[in-house]
Amino acid sequence: MRRAFMTTKDLVEKIDLKPLSKFAHRDVDGVFVSDMVSDVMAGAKSGNLWLTVQTHKSIVPAANLVDVSAIIITSGKEVPEATVDLAGKFNIAILSTELPTFELVGKLYELGLGKK
Amino acid sequence: MSDCQHEWEMTNIQFGFVVFEKCFHCNELRTYFSVEDHPILGDVYREGDCYWNRMANAQSIRFDLVCKKCSHIESFSDLMGLMHCTGCLPDCEVDVQRRKLEAEKTWIVVAFGFLPKAKTEPIPQEKLDILSDYFNLKRDTSRSRIKVLPFNLIEDLSRCRGDFIHDVDMLSQELPKERKPLF
Repeated sequence: MRRAFMTTKDLVEKIDLKPLSKFAHRDVDGVFVSDMVSDVMAGAKSGNLWLTVQTHKSIVPAANLVDVSAIIITSGKEVPEATVDLAGKFNIAILSTELPTFELVGKLYELGLGKK
Repeated sequence: MSDCQHEWEMTNIQFGFVVFEKCFHCNELRTYFSVEDHPILGDVYREGDCYWNRMANAQSIRFDLVCKKCSHIESFSDLMGLMHCTGCLPDCEVDVQRRKLEAEKTWIVVAFGFLPKAKTEPIPQEKLDILSDYFNLKRDTSRSRIKVLPFNLIEDLSRCRGDFIHDVDMLSQELPKERKPLF
């Protein structure tokens, strides 16, 4: 397995990300951007950060199935309490940011995520 | 029997909709996969004694699994979708399994076949085990595991409040409403 060089803790500290759910920090390996849970189930990989504007409850079991390291809700979208509570149960990090997805992708790329 | 220790990955991925139809005459429910751009809701048509009404669409995927080592393909064209158990019925066998397995850091999902066929011909356990293997091969299993259970373990389908893992109201900026019971 490829050694991860960044953790969710590093990201929270380096980018203005607000943790919403209860979770244990873990290694991050790559980024997946999509607003469709079916797309995530088909394409995301274990350890990926998942960037989305979707906030409904289905994002949590989908994220859990593919073992993403965190869900980052972009553009300051409000996340329902039911979604946050469910994420806590699965120990899945939900982080939020006011940044639009495009700008966040740029910052993550600058930090080295996505570079081979 | 193959000796291959299969390493599964998704193949033949098709994006579309799971369409739910209900007959007002016999109350039967049926589901199928559609690759239409946007299946129209409320469409009513007659088929024999049945009057089918399109009740709901759920954006979803259909896929097969292929072994990276031996190229064997396992078809999952009969898989309608995966459901997250919300623990709504304490006596339900799914919830009993959920509580037992979660204590062992194993998360469960429930696999549904297309209705009504799946009621009499559920997806075989061997295929569900392959699906569990696929999800577990992709994850760090030292943290947690996935177990796929068959939907016929559900105590009472009409009272089940489980959540299908699917895309809802993708064309709306509004938050989706809670799923109405479909059964």
